[in-house]
Amino acid sequence: MKKRCLKPLFLTAVLFSLTIALTGCSGDKASDSSSEITIGLAQDIEDSLDPHKAVAAGTKEILFNLYEGLVKPDADGNLIDAVASAHEVSEDGKTYTFTLRDGVKFHDGSLVTADDVKYSIDRCADTGNGDPLVSAFSNIESVNVLDESTIEVNLKEADTEFLAYMTTAIIPASNETPDTNPIGTGPYKYVSRSPQEEIVLERFDEYWGTPANIANITLKVIADPDSIAMNLNGGAIDMFMRITTGQMNELSDEFEIYEGTMNLVQALYLNNDFEPFQDVRVRRALCYAVDKQEIFDILSDGKGSELGSSVFPSFGKYYMEELNSVYTKDTKKAKELLAEAGYENGFTFSVAVPSNYQPHVDTAQILAQQFKEIGVTANINLIEWDSWLSDVYTNREFEATVIGVDASSLTARALLERFQSDASNNFINFKSDAYDTAITNALATADDDEKTRYYKECETILADEAANVYIQDLPEFVALNKKYAGYEFYPLYVQDFSKLYVVEE
Amino acid sequence: MQKKKKRHSFNFILGAVLTGLIAVMLLIGIFAMPYAPDAMNKSLKFAGISPAHLMGCDNFGRDIFSRVLQGLKMTLGIAAGTVCIGTFFGMVIGAFTGYFGGWLDEVLMRINDAVFAFPSILLALVMVSLFGTGKWNVMLALGIAFIPSFARIVRSEFLYQKNLDYVKSARLMGAGHLRIMFVHILPNTLPVLISSIMIGFNNAVLAEAGMSYLGIGVQPPDASLGRMLSEAQTYLFSTPTYAMFPGLVLIVMILGFSLLADEM
Amino acid sequence: MKYVIKKIGTMIFTLCVVCFLIFGAFSLIPGDPALSRLGTQATESSLNALREQMGLNRPFLVRFADWFVHALAGDFGTSYSYNMPVSDMILDKVPITITLTLLAFVLIVLVSIPLSIYSVMHENGPVDRGILILNQILMAVPPFFSGMLITFFFGIVLKWFVPGGFVSYKKSFSGFLGYMLFPAIAVALPKIAMTVKLFRKSLLQEKKKEYVRTAYSKGNDSRGVLYGHMMKNALIPVITFLGMVLTDMIAGSIIIEQVFNIPGLGRILMTSISNRDYPVVEAIVLCIAVLVIVVNFLVDVLYHVIDPRMRTE
Repeated sequence: MKKRCLKPLFLTAVLFSLTIALTGCSGDKASDSSSEITIGLAQDIEDSLDPHKAVAAGTKEILFNLYEGLVKPDADGNLIDAVASAHEVSEDGKTYTFTLRDGVKFHDGSLVTADDVKYSIDRCADTGNGDPLVSAFSNIESVNVLDESTIEVNLKEADTEFLAYMTTAIIPASNETPDTNPIGTGPYKYVSRSPQEEIVLERFDEYWGTPANIANITLKVIADPDSIAMNLNGGAIDMFMRITTGQMNELSDEFEIYEGTMNLVQALYLNNDFEPFQDVRVRRALCYAVDKQEIFDILSDGKGSELGSSVFPSFGKYYMEELNSVYTKDTKKAKELLAEAGYENGFTFSVAVPSNYQPHVDTAQILAQQFKEIGVTANINLIEWDSWLSDVYTNREFEATVIGVDASSLTARALLERFQSDASNNFINFKSDAYDTAITNALATADDDEKTRYYKECETILADEAANVYIQDLPEFVALNKKYAGYEFYPLYVQDFSKLYVVEE
Repeated sequence: MQKKKKRHSFNFILGAVLTGLIAVMLLIGIFAMPYAPDAMNKSLKFAGISPAHLMGCDNFGRDIFSRVLQGLKMTLGIAAGTVCIGTFFGMVIGAFTGYFGGWLDEVLMRINDAVFAFPSILLALVMVSLFGTGKWNVMLALGIAFIPSFARIVRSEFLYQKNLDYVKSARLMGAGHLRIMFVHILPNTLPVLISSIMIGFNNAVLAEAGMSYLGIGVQPPDASLGRMLSEAQTYLFSTPTYAMFPGLVLIVMILGFSLLADEM
Repeated sequence: MKYVIKKIGTMIFTLCVVCFLIFGAFSLIPGDPALSRLGTQATESSLNALREQMGLNRPFLVRFADWFVHALAGDFGTSYSYNMPVSDMILDKVPITITLTLLAFVLIVLVSIPLSIYSVMHENGPVDRGILILNQILMAVPPFFSGMLITFFFGIVLKWFVPGGFVSYKKSFSGFLGYMLFPAIAVALPKIAMTVKLFRKSLLQEKKKEYVRTAYSKGNDSRGVLYGHMMKNALIPVITFLGMVLTDMIAGSIIIEQVFNIPGLGRILMTSISNRDYPVVEAIVLCIAVLVIVVNFLVDVLYHVIDPRMRTE
């Protein structure tokens, strides 16, 4: 059981919907009990099925179908009521009152009670094992059950972003093993799993909202990315999220490609504590060595949205396009900076990359090639996803890594909070007093304009300090067999399987 | 009988030709690499076969021919290292246990039996989980995994040879144990040793390719034949040549060596 | 009988040594399992508590004895990654790997023995020559490459099976066997070639011996001589070889499982190695080692039964 800190959830703030390339075909939505789909997964769920303890984005995007909070995000990024039917915020912003929806049932058939809700929130706010499971919950003063269907959350200080954290999954207090027996209120319920093989989900027929279309889902683990195209073409899987353009070109015309963005910050994350990277000039030199356009061209036939800091375009007003041009490829300047820092002969470092994410593996190879031009050697070290989580993310034993950091919530806080010097998930060991001040100010203020200004200050510091070598928000290509339709992109890193349906012939 | 001999020599010639082909490729790889094997070129993504790119280009626009040469160097290098480690330690252990016998022999051979119970690829996997991935670790892991089989062969040879007359007369002439072991007996075990080295070399090539295919051997962007085959799998539909060439080179290499080993 | 008992003794001894080596190797690795489970944020007291709970504070030999006793009872502890008992994870996968190996083994026996006999009966004929050449080539093709080719031709082009479409034996046994046939072919091909080569050579050697000539002179036809006299003798080296092939395939299936996306022991082993999920690695390695040792034992006994010369020694 790994106790890694669970981070951010959702916020109402930004309403930004993505351009979605939808299919032309729109048949009747079949919803008979025999409908089924097999979806390929890049990695098995190796952290936890317990929604409060899962940390990996790849886990949380699946659990999105099993669990719901009092509120949940929709495909436009709005927060809508889920387990609660209404919510109310007091004028001083310190008291949140939720009215529970009538007749919401857990997957085991029992009704959701106010006590379950209190249990779930208390569980995440518990500081008995160090940090609370949801860090924003440290602000909770008390959770009170007013009556059977009303619950009140009192905060120590006013927090305008707090509602986003109420997406925290509601689980039954009676379940003693949420780790292996997940019970939630979502449109799908867990049936079984077999390690490194598959996870089986089934439609929850007593779901309170619009029930899911497809009755049975098999999530099949495809550990070897080199076999994805073959698995799709052969018919072993019907859908795969996040394929590369290379894989896309191999697919037969039985597949529809949905195009969106992955909603993450792909970068070469640098361990700022690692000797050469302690020097900002070295970090800047690496930034000057990178030709992002070449990465886009090789990786995704030129597609990709360039990033210069830790916020991606779905974040609307928080996104700062001007930061993209802080560093443009300049080999001469990069070499000068290295020489100034005392590395005129270059240096060697290793890049840890999770082997199951082809786009990151490929990006790392291109980067290594580009760094050669300034005399820096980057050795790629492919590791398993679980090792990445423990070595790189939790224990910070790495020099650099190519990964995409997602925001499970459309709040700048979700992306920026982690770079505070003492943040428990500041895996790159970034340290800047100016940054700490700016982020503290941003979190403290209730004024939206001021908040935005402080967040932008944070982004600018990250870019100036070259905390990481920022690359892009990757284009996302989802391959779906034409027998199915209805795939929807969220502006967050989640998958909503309930909207998929079978196309009638 | 005459006929049979003729066919054998045909096998030998074929083996020599194939091995020669590999040797030529190795030499090109060392002295006249056409392109840098890691150099990427976006305009050459999946470029077809042409005089400039004999085997076409891969998904990064890297020249496949250069990468095959590079992979060949890597594979041969690792296999050679593996065999060196295995032979050296196997020889020392086998020589001592076979020559002296006694409790040392008992203990070492029991351990050897236990280790021998593991198929070498499994043993190498366990080693890699202990040492970590990467080319040097693979070489070390495979090398250690190969020790027991060499030790067995050398030991049985020593057991046989130590009772022969020439050893007895050497002892009478006052030669020390080490001198007898390594100056007198060792050269006489060479014929047996050489053929097992050749077979071992082939096994090492196969094992390295297998481990790199699994992704725990050579790490990208370094090329290795096994790694290339794994990467080429995605593009089997549109660019089958990407998988064909590394595969063919691997087959030619193993075929050549095994034909030669058969005739020795 | 005495021989069998002696062999059982050796087998048990080897097993103990294997257990000790496996456990010892994984205890030597630097790193603290408690730390890797709790992360660097963990407090010293919670780390100590977990170490105590996992029994990491005890001396090495005590831990080994404890692990050994539990392992004998089939309890290998809890997986770090999956938080489930290791034995549960493995038990599901053992039938997959064993089926693959046995299927390949049956293929080897069914194809190579008739082929060798035909080849010997028509020595130097065109078929014999063809087989010899094909043999050399097949021996040189690594199983994962033939696996890729098989997937491409039979899976994608001919659509005889769904590439990657592994069917669990729990869902449909026939579907399971149907899928496993193709990886089994990939595993079996080079081994068939080796067996044919060996058996053919062995038969040809027997053919030159005195007793065969005597049998002919007594008026037996070639078929009678072959089946009545030569077969049994020529098979002796082949049986030893087949035993080695069987053990080799158990481990060799690790790679083939990757090619065909089969969630067997090999897959779990690979991910557990990378995840440093040591209880799982230890258990699987031990599992395979036990299979190998038992097969070796059976081969030894069988050898003893077939070859009367062994009995007098």
